[in-house]
Formats: sequence, structure tokens, C-alpha cells
Amino acid sequence: MTRPRLGHDNLGLGVGLRTVHFPYILEHHPAVDWFEIISENFMDSGGRPRYVLDQLAERYRIVMHGVSLSIGSTDPLDREYLGKLKRLADGVTAHWVSDHLCWTGVAGRNTHDLLPVPLNERTLAHVVDRVRVVQDILERPLVLENPSSYVTFAASTMPEWEFLARMAEEADCGLLLDVNNVYVSSVNHDFDPVEYIRAVPHERVVQFHLAGHTDCGTHIVDTHDGEVVDPVWELYRLAHQLTGGVSTLLEWDAKIPPFPAVHAEVLKARDYMAAELPTRPAATDHVSKRLAGDEAVPHPLAHTVVEVS
Amino acid sequence: MIKDSLALDRLQHWMQAVITHPGGVLAGMGAEEARRHIDVDGDRVEEVITRSRALGSVDRLEVYARAYYARLIECLRAEFPVLIRAIGEDLFDEFAVGYLIHYPSRSYTLNRLGAHLARHLDETRPPDEGWAALLVDLAALEWAIGEVYDGPGVEGQRLLDAADLLVVPADRWPEVRLEAAPCLRTLALSHPVGAYYTALRRGEDATPPGPAESFLALTRRDFVVRLHELSRPQYHLLNALMGGQPLGPAIGAAMEADAVAPDRLVADLRRWFHDWAAAGFFRAIASPRRA
Repeated sequence: MTRPRLGHDNLGLGVGLRTVHFPYILEHHPAVDWFEIISENFMDSGGRPRYVLDQLAERYRIVMHGVSLSIGSTDPLDREYLGKLKRLADGVTAHWVSDHLCWTGVAGRNTHDLLPVPLNERTLAHVVDRVRVVQDILERPLVLENPSSYVTFAASTMPEWEFLARMAEEADCGLLLDVNNVYVSSVNHDFDPVEYIRAVPHERVVQFHLAGHTDCGTHIVDTHDGEVVDPVWELYRLAHQLTGGVSTLLEWDAKIPPFPAVHAEVLKARDYMAAELPTRPAATDHVSKRLAGDEAVPHPLAHTVVEVS
Repeated sequence: MIKDSLALDRLQHWMQAVITHPGGVLAGMGAEEARRHIDVDGDRVEEVITRSRALGSVDRLEVYARAYYARLIECLRAEFPVLIRAIGEDLFDEFAVGYLIHYPSRSYTLNRLGAHLARHLDETRPPDEGWAALLVDLAALEWAIGEVYDGPGVEGQRLLDAADLLVVPADRWPEVRLEAAPCLRTLALSHPVGAYYTALRRGEDATPPGPAESFLALTRRDFVVRLHELSRPQYHLLNALMGGQPLGPAIGAAMEADAVAPDRLVADLRRWFHDWAAAGFFRAIASPRRA
């Protein structure tokens, strides 16, 4: 019997830690329940980013979120990277370590994109094997996120929610359910996001992600550059109800507003934690801004910006 | 059917080749690097990538292809804001595309994406254009500053000060080794870009300097990166010390490299080490027989 949230606490409503907010956070110590860090931005840092993180770790609960594990790649796992990941997790007493069900590159290259995998038995076996290795090295369960995606493969034989459920069960890992990604992919791949939310194994969902996106007309790009749209909030209401509530995190990675605006956005989640049944969001009723497709860049850039004194 | 025999590694190598091709998805599918793994063109690509109700397979792949360069160029822009001020965004983006083609990322972190940009600019610059060498210097300096900013430092640690050096008996000086602060870096450049960099970073107008050899030391105090101009013998002496040489041989190496008269160098050394200690260049005296 799997315990809810794989035994992890519900940390409440958190915000993704971004360099531009360092001065505000250090000065005001805002009442944020927890912070999620991009692991790669801190695992090598010996400078101010790591210094700030260590300070925040004394005051706030920290969760680590990576973008370069590349669990679905056919390249060998990067043992040096995993060693650094574990040292960072130990160093900041991370509540859990997450990454994505994706691959980021092959042949030694890193595209720094979260590329989807074909969803079939062979990929499932490949990913499950690698998750087990990673968990052995990290000495903790891995938490994997459903990515937003823009292609599907002829070689796929099962829906993403089935793949995630079987992966989590067979590898005994946790899930980070990105509700915005479910919505983005549902529009891009013509599936029902409610069916997805209902089908994932709710007791293995450790964390939710929320974010804004950009509607390009023929598809949606996961840009993390704005407010969460109503259909995503409605999916969040359903997910909250089905899981009993898990740690919720807002990502804002482009056109980042001042910290209070980001924090206020995630606090809206309180309005959707009521127990009533959700209204069913249709893939076509979303209200989000439109941009020329060429301008929309999917998901976050994860890098450190040098602060100038 | 292609999909029946499609191994994951072939699919990933193919997709990476397609979405990172600078000519776009169709050019990528036609390139040898992609065809080596899956030989498919735009008419048959649905056997690999399915279409959605709204978009065909090529258009769906284009989302990734557009994002690849856009994302990484955006990252490089954030890493080289001063270089962009010097040359403008359009020219920088042109350089960035060429750089990403020749030096695709092989690191797990975007923080190292620009590590080879100065080298790439140097490898591809017109040989007789002074301004091109200036850009190489500016890129090298800007990258080094970023490395020092986020690399290991000495904050919270006691550093060697001038008084620590004064207690070393004169006869022991030649064998003394100084442990450099881990954030200390030296640069040898073909243009004096230190002041130019600082002015551009502050948003000030600045005239690009003409060619002249220039030596810089970078270090970090209280998480702020600081630039120090060096003379040629200072540069060689510091490099020798950072390489672990005892003071005597390091001074000898500096004199040899720069043909400096011994009496002249000795007269300067006391002031140099006083200034360097005050600037936090050294962490400790590493001599086994510490005074």
C-alpha cells in the first residue's frame, strides 16, 4: 500500500527560486511555504548563488528540480552529475529531488530541451531500469514530471498517463504532476486532460507544478511567462481533490515580474482547493494570450545570471 | 513500416540531428547525420512523428527546432551582455548561431554554455581586423568574470595580509610558496579591455581601445568580482606563484620572461606583495617551514 504523496509532507504553496528575486527575498523574507531550486544552477556554484541558497535553506524548505538528468536518453547516465546532485541534496536537506520524463540529448550533447520519448514497452523498460539506478545513487526515491510536448511518435503504443502510472509503480518512484503541462499537451495532442488527471496514480503524486503558457493558435507553447489560465486552475482543482492535496509550485521563467506578483499567483491556488467537483475544461475554451509562434520558446531557461554590484 | 523497427537510440539520434540543424527541420531530415539513423523525408515523416489535428509532423518538429536556437541564444545573451553592448544584438546573434553549430553544449548546465565563445571568435575572426581581436578579448574577460563570480571563493575566510608577509625571514623568502585564493585568475589580452568593459557594464559610452598588450588579475571579495591591472612581470610572477612555484624560482621566471633587471624587480616586489595581499590574492603561506 503506497502512502499518499509517497510519504512526503504537503509543503503548501511554493515558488521557483530565481536569481532576479535574490535581493527581495533576502531583504523581506516573504512568507513563502517553500522554494524549488533548479538543481543545475547550484550544484557547481561556489559563489553568491550557493551562498544565498544556503541562507534560504536555513529559513525555508527546499525542493530540488533538475533539467538535465535525461532519464529517457540512450546515452549512459552521467555518474559525475548524479554525485553532484546527491551532494547538493544532502547539503541543502532537500525534501525531494525531481526531474522530467524526457531526454535532453544523445552522443554527449545537451540540447537543453526536455524532449519527449516514444511511449511503448521498450522505452518503459529502459526508463524504469535507469530510474532504479538513479534512486540507488541518490539513496532516495526520484520524482519525475510529465513534460509538455509538441510531437508524438508513431512508435508510441500507450497514453502518457498509462506510461507514467506503470513507470511509477515498477520503479517505485514519485510523480510531479505538472497540471499546466497536462493542459498544454492535451491541446497539442488532442487528448482529454481530465482523463489524464483522473488516470495518474494519485498516491504517487508528490508535487504539482503550475505555470503560464502561450497559445499559438495551432498549438500551445509552455513558456512559463505569465499567469495560470482558468482551464489549468480547473484541472488543478480536480487534481487537488483526487490527491487530497500535495505541495504546489508556481514556475515563472520568462518576463519574470517582481517577487510579490509571482507569490500572489501561486496563492490563488487556495481558491481552487474547495471540495466541489470541477467544471470540465474543454481544450478550446482556454483564455490565454496569443503570440506569433516564432516568438514563443518552450519551458525554462535554467542558468545563473551574474549580478552586478 | 519504419516504426516497427525503430530503436530508441536511432530515434533520438535522428530527432536531435533534425531539430538542431541550422537550416530547419526539412534540411535536417535531408542531412547525412539524420539519414544515417532514419532515412525519411517530409513526405514520409508521419511514419515517425504523428500529426495532430491542427499541425503536420514537420510543423510540430519545427517547434523544437525554433526553440533550440532561440533558447540557447537567449542564454548566451544573458552571459555576454557587455559584448552585446559593444557589437549590437544582431551581430551577436549571428556569432552565437555559428558558435552553437561549432560548439554544441556538452554540459549538464547552461552556466557553461558560453565557455568556448572567445575561442570560437578567435578561430573564426578575420586575421587582420583589430576590432575582431578586441571582441575576442572582451568575450574572454566577460566569461572569466562570470566564472569568478560563481566559482569557489574566499568569503568568510581569513586571507593573507601584508603583516603575515612581513614576519617571513628574508632568508626564507626564496622557498616560500603562496597559496592563491581559488577565485584568483589572470588574463593576458591583446587589448586593454578592462576599463572598456567596466564602462560598458555601467551603461556608459566608451571608445574601443586600440591594440596594446594588457594583463589583468580577477578576484572576488564579498561576492563582487574585482579587476586589477597588471604589468607584464607582475603577470608572469603571479602565474608562476599560482602554478605552485616557490617565490625564488617564480621571481626568476618573471625576470627571465620579461628581461627585467634584478635590482629593479627587487625594488618593486615589496610594494607588489603589499598591494596583492591587500587585494586578497593569497590565502596562506604554503611553505612547509612556515615562519
